[in-house]
Amino acid sequence: MEAPKQTPTSKAGDWRSYQRVILPPVRDLHLLDVALRNGAYTALEKILKEGWERKRLVDEVKASGLRGRGGAGFSTGLKWSFMPPDKPGQPRYLACNGDESEPGTFKDRQIFEYNPHLLFEGMMMGAYGIGAHTAYLYVRGEYADYISHMERELAKAYAKGLVGKNLFGTGWDCDIVIHKGAGAYICGEESSLMESLEGKRAYPRIKPPFPAQKGLWANPTTINNVETLACVPLIVHKGASWFAGLGAPKHPGPLLYGVSGHVNRPGVYEYPTGMLLTDLIYEVCGGIRGGKKLKAVVPGGSSVPVLTAEMCEGVTMDAESMRDGGSMLGTAGVLVMDEDVDMVSFLRRTTHFYHHESCGQCTPCREGTGWLEKLVTRIDEGEGNLRDLDLLISLCDNMEGRTVCALADAAAWPVRWTVTRFRSEFEAKCKPSLVPGGFVSPETLGEAVADPGYVLSD
Amino acid sequence: MSNIHLEISPLPERNPERSFTPEQLVWTDEERARIDAYRASYPEAEAAVMRLLWMAQEKFGWLAPEVIQLVADTLGIPYAHAYGVATFYTMYFKEPKGRFVLDVCTGHSCQVCGAYDRMAHLEKTLGVHMGETTDDGQFTLQEAECLGACGTGPMLQITNGRYVHNLTDEKLDRMVATLRETGSWPFESVTLPQDEDEMQGNRRSDAEATEKAIPAPFFHSLGGHRHDAAPSHDPLHEGTEGA
Repeated sequence: MEAPKQTPTSKAGDWRSYQRVILPPVRDLHLLDVALRNGAYTALEKILKEGWERKRLVDEVKASGLRGRGGAGFSTGLKWSFMPPDKPGQPRYLACNGDESEPGTFKDRQIFEYNPHLLFEGMMMGAYGIGAHTAYLYVRGEYADYISHMERELAKAYAKGLVGKNLFGTGWDCDIVIHKGAGAYICGEESSLMESLEGKRAYPRIKPPFPAQKGLWANPTTINNVETLACVPLIVHKGASWFAGLGAPKHPGPLLYGVSGHVNRPGVYEYPTGMLLTDLIYEVCGGIRGGKKLKAVVPGGSSVPVLTAEMCEGVTMDAESMRDGGSMLGTAGVLVMDEDVDMVSFLRRTTHFYHHESCGQCTPCREGTGWLEKLVTRIDEGEGNLRDLDLLISLCDNMEGRTVCALADAAAWPVRWTVTRFRSEFEAKCKPSLVPGGFVSPETLGEAVADPGYVLSD
Repeated sequence: MSNIHLEISPLPERNPERSFTPEQLVWTDEERARIDAYRASYPEAEAAVMRLLWMAQEKFGWLAPEVIQLVADTLGIPYAHAYGVATFYTMYFKEPKGRFVLDVCTGHSCQVCGAYDRMAHLEKTLGVHMGETTDDGQFTLQEAECLGACGTGPMLQITNGRYVHNLTDEKLDRMVATLRETGSWPFESVTLPQDEDEMQGNRRSDAEATEKAIPAPFFHSLGGHRHDAAPSHDPLHEGTEGA
């Protein structure tokens, strides 16, 4: 491995002595009585009893610098402030996105299992901040066990008067409803999540109108990720400046890193943002198993661009550094791959995922994801031609930004960047082109497909 | 041939034979109370359709057209709407399945940790291909998209419920035998690595079983593994070092 060009610096500060706050080391914290002994619901009690104005909470969250943990990394306080002024008789909703279907992401499940009361409290505080009285928690259907655990704990919290009507005697009401999904990646997209919550086929909506204007049942709605909302009580407890001072200055706070793949100790770790990717792999997770060499890292869920081993040097886990380093932070679900992984077979499975999960609403995505899968499969089977690689890139050009939601982009990015960054591996599996074609530009794509020699396999 | 290509499900027959009698297609009082609670959770009846389809699937095993009709009638929504929802989401069973549906996750983290080898082992053990049900109706073997347990991959889910982590061939054999015998598998709580260091183990005292996020024995299914290849004895899978 090449030596790094400059000494890499972590932005996570003294992370080795970091004390966890989202998942603090407390035995049985998921049970209500234990959670109450450890300060659960006191942040909510504080803002209710002190009669905080909504704006004060929103400003506090803004000041903390909290950014969404679901992938886009948008400022949470700013998102809340997009909610329109109250209209009499118009309900408002908070939806918590616990769909967590991005391959490689498994952090929210730890909150569901180990600290659900922090999430419930955060959801109600989010509802308070945007003026809602109902908070929906959308959880993917696969988490059936965790849903039933949470339902049990939620029932306990209702029975104790911590959720529901007249909370802490202040006259403020807030209901939490757990909505069980049924297996659709697309529901992680916020407008599609709302369709699913309304009991429909989860087709993403055209924006604008944005959810803050017309969301659930055409009423103002804010959608936040599970981990994002779980941070809100911590901000009120410990102060916005504590939060803002933790980790990377532009993307602060505690972060759940989900590391999977070929490391010695995979799992979910809580550390400040801005950890060096190499610290995470080699020190926290004990390095690559079997003493093998690192080959590639997908740092934020399957749709973010893959990083080669060389590119991992000096990159820190925050949105800005990841962008400069050639990828995205996404959900911080880090997949580590060792030298033995065949990138073509790897990409083949990823394209299959997006083909399977495309909702079918927009043509570029419905057809494009299928083509990506067929082409990568064909290359993987040794039947591809060299010019298929250019066709793959031009397919990506024709998908990105041309659909209602970002699934097409999410499907195209891994193809574009895996093919670009591991091109020699793809070329090694390709046969020489036997019919004229050469480089296929987006303009000539139509012709190339009409070419009778160009039959997609399978 | 591609081994990760799913068949397109055929359209339902126009007048299918009924699988359930009108006497069977009723809710108990306890179920009606649950339905009312779900219904009250939303401003519109339509929104409760997903929960009701779940209830119906747990009660009847799969969503036959008449079962979907029951759900639609219960909520007072069109059949076409309930059918549309049932067919959009993959976890709703539109055809009868085995008693245990084994959804083996082959999402990218599980894939690079050997999910297709575990799948091949299950295919061999159960004598069915991916997507098929055993002759005795006990097991349906399926491929699933990422199930969100990437740190403990390869893993699988039993009939839309229990997660089974850190799969090895031995564990799969044990699981299949246990399911045949007792019909259930304990809830496995995954111990966080930091809990391991700071709390010397899993933090839940009510976990039935615990699993550490340890890597599966390492070998790869990638690059050359094919299901249509002869199931030869593969020395790679024998005696490889653990981590």
